[in-house]
Amino acid sequence: MKPDQMTDPLIQSNQERHRTFDRVWGNLPGWRALSAVNHTTIGLRFIVTGFMFFLVGGLLAMLIRTQLALPEQDIVGIELYNQLFTMHGTVMMFLFAIPVLEGMAMYLIPKMIGARDLVFPRLSALGYYCYLFGGLIILSSLVMNIAPDTGWFMYTPLSSANYSPGPGSDFWLLGITFVEISALSAGVELVVSILRTRTRGMALSKMPVFCWYILAMALMIIFGFPPLILGSILLELERAAGMVFFEVAGGGDPLLWQHLFWLFGHPEVYILFLPAAGIVSTLIPVFAQHPLVGYRWIVVGIILMGFLSFGLWVHHMFTVGIPQLALSFFSVASMLVAIPTGIQVFAWLATLWAGRVVFHLPMLWILGFIVIFVNGGLTGVMLALVPFDWQVHDTHFVVAHMHYVLVGGMLFPMVAGLYYWLPHVSGRMPSDTLGRWGFWLVFIGFNLTFLIMHLTGLLGMPRRIYTYEAEMGWGWLNLISSIGGFVMAIGVAAVILDIALHFRFGKRATLNPWNADTLEWAMPMPVPTYNFASLPTVETRHPMWENTDLPQTIASGQHGLAEIQHNRRDTWGSDAITGKVREIINLPSNSWIPLQCAVAIGVLCISLLVKAYLVAVLSTVAAVFLLLRWSWHNGGHPSVTPLREDDPTDPPLHSRTFDGPGLWGMVVSLMANGTLYLSLLFGWFYLWTASPLWTVPENGPLALMPLVASGVLLTLAVLLYGRGLTRLRKRNADRLGSMFWLVSLLGAAHVLLLLWILLDAPLQPTQTAHDAVLTVMVLYQLIHSGLAVILTALQAVRLRLGYVSAQIPYEPVVIGPFWLYTLGVFWMSFAAFVLLPMAWGGS
Amino acid sequence: MFSPSHPLQMFFGLIVWSAWFVSLYGGLGVVCKLAPPSPDQGVMTWVNALVLVLGMALSLFLLFCARRCWAVRSAAQCLSARERDNQRFIASAAAGVYLVGAFATLAVALPAVMLAPCV
Repeated sequence: MKPDQMTDPLIQSNQERHRTFDRVWGNLPGWRALSAVNHTTIGLRFIVTGFMFFLVGGLLAMLIRTQLALPEQDIVGIELYNQLFTMHGTVMMFLFAIPVLEGMAMYLIPKMIGARDLVFPRLSALGYYCYLFGGLIILSSLVMNIAPDTGWFMYTPLSSANYSPGPGSDFWLLGITFVEISALSAGVELVVSILRTRTRGMALSKMPVFCWYILAMALMIIFGFPPLILGSILLELERAAGMVFFEVAGGGDPLLWQHLFWLFGHPEVYILFLPAAGIVSTLIPVFAQHPLVGYRWIVVGIILMGFLSFGLWVHHMFTVGIPQLALSFFSVASMLVAIPTGIQVFAWLATLWAGRVVFHLPMLWILGFIVIFVNGGLTGVMLALVPFDWQVHDTHFVVAHMHYVLVGGMLFPMVAGLYYWLPHVSGRMPSDTLGRWGFWLVFIGFNLTFLIMHLTGLLGMPRRIYTYEAEMGWGWLNLISSIGGFVMAIGVAAVILDIALHFRFGKRATLNPWNADTLEWAMPMPVPTYNFASLPTVETRHPMWENTDLPQTIASGQHGLAEIQHNRRDTWGSDAITGKVREIINLPSNSWIPLQCAVAIGVLCISLLVKAYLVAVLSTVAAVFLLLRWSWHNGGHPSVTPLREDDPTDPPLHSRTFDGPGLWGMVVSLMANGTLYLSLLFGWFYLWTASPLWTVPENGPLALMPLVASGVLLTLAVLLYGRGLTRLRKRNADRLGSMFWLVSLLGAAHVLLLLWILLDAPLQPTQTAHDAVLTVMVLYQLIHSGLAVILTALQAVRLRLGYVSAQIPYEPVVIGPFWLYTLGVFWMSFAAFVLLPMAWGGS
Repeated sequence: MFSPSHPLQMFFGLIVWSAWFVSLYGGLGVVCKLAPPSPDQGVMTWVNALVLVLGMALSLFLLFCARRCWAVRSAAQCLSARERDNQRFIASAAAGVYLVGAFATLAVALPAVMLAPCV
């Protein structure tokens, strides 16, 4: 227990209970804290690491502004300048903005919904280490002066091996893919946690509005990131193995990269905006001391934004030569997104109007957000107009717009949230004076930098040029922008100083210091590792306003799950809609496996960078082994929740049910996986319709009848597995082990046959895009089928050992959707990659 | 799942919009590859007509769904207050989503009134 916690009255009056909980939920001391999986620790690690990267990105920005301050300067030189702006964008977008917001979500969500942790704590830890190692790998390229230098969106052919022969692009592609494992794991984690671990009674309609925002953000990550992951894999395969995807001569198309990138890139803007808007929607009612006006309409706005933002990606490609009617679809969609934004802005204004606003420090940042973001939104509508976009494309106007949206729409609310929840972490209040200095310096500096930049852009200054001639007349504007940049940097330094000093000199925070309405304030400060000593029933959106003695009754164990049994980390599992309690979810404790897995994946990443392919193979095997070991320590394993006579039955432990969080996690993961597969299908059809030199061979390269036979074997395996599950659902596990072995054998036969077909096929993936895409598709199928076989064989072994049984049916049920997905992919691929080419006249 | 107060109703209107949007963009690409209408025809092509007719039909369908969800707000008297509250929340949010979905569906089709398909 932290020394500061001992002084909290909630803990002092319930010391024995808190000691017991802290022993079970606490991290290990010293360096062994690296094995921590607790959401409070992991969330804070994300936030602190993200701000470290922010300082690096800010330093790069200052170097850029120094170089551009006056015309015809040669302070950093053209090559380093290219690396600087590429790394500035990359660091800020991938290593700062998303991870910090994810960290805040990871930290806050369980506390807001009345849970003790996120639902897959080890996944959180894996995500953090992947993020940390991936970020360090990317940054190391800058230290070695071999950083990527083709812009943060890596357009081909500039980023291809011909024009970027150095390792810079490889660092970006491999490093970012590594980091994206982190984003996806956070996405899965947050979706399932919000839907399945809310406390008793918290129906969807009573959920804190912040949770709606994070739910939408997490789902957008699930659907938004896979296209970029696929694009990065394809581009790396093209660079490292010579396969053809983006090269016109082989039937590829560089515009395919732009589509895949912006299919991720535009939703990404809203992935950043939504959690920030969630902070705004949480803070405004608190500082107006009035419930949020139009909660229901805000939820509608969030859903609309989540969907509409996926229909905008081509508005980054208005100048590439797309038919006008197609452009207009995206232009209209870009304007439509103003509807949900407008709903939210008006709801915020109405709440401020209806309440009595208290201008504490966080509220100042919120007002700054409203001013800057509304301006950024207006220039966004201007850019949605195709003719205007053509005029200012690739100028500083776009840079200014982007920073108004991102800094205004994300950084300002983020700092507001940081100040707001600071007492939670430290138990102390920030300094009002230094904090206000920080705000005004950042606000003035930001507008000085970027308001002026609109004008620089309208005067025609292109982005990404390292210098300009004095005769262009852009000198004084750039000087003002650079001065503004440094003023902003001083403001950031003041904020950092304020936060650093408050840990030592800040006034001790009282319970619920802002008089907030949400549940995260019903706990001692600084927060304990287990969040709540007992889990309350919540049937209102404002539990802390309507039930002011909640902190005391929670701490004294007057609510649910107030006792610890068998040293288990327990939290409620509830119905996704109504919030009725359905099971007790038993969460894993501290574990080294996430760190070990991340190290193995990190070695894989580095070995690919240095082209040490044998090491790459070995590290892949190690990573797969460790991940399977992770799955082994689950369910009825003796170290987790073996069958006991005193097992609770009402509600039961989640591993005794058929609809536990693992099944939800699998389904959400498959949604991400399915998006990756659909992106591959999109690539296939896109190249067919758009690539000028796309060719289909006369005869299909894959042997047709063996392919059908392989599909039949897979179908039989899936049918048999489904039959096994049906019996298990009737609590009958007789001969289930034999069935699973048979399923594995059928699956293995299917894999071997498919592998033979691939090796026997006259594919030339380095010559034609057709063969390259086909090869990737078959490899994708082989990986999935192979994994399904291994997982099923492991279940057969677990059945024999008694870790799976009629009473513990959890894991085979989780694997069920994976088999179905694998089968669906096979036959869909068969139709798209084999039957359709026959129809369009190829094979 | 077809009940107006099923949670999926909150998303279905926009799933329809998304499918419409993807079909519109993808379909236009395929048509312009396989059977592009002559640019001389301007907007008087079967492609423009199809886009407008389908856009209107889908919008009407979504408006119908919106009305159906809205009607649920006053129904379900037999449920407990908590359940009724929950159902009303889902149904009215779904109605809002359907309404904007209908508008968005028609809006992205409207440029077909004045732009030729493959130019």
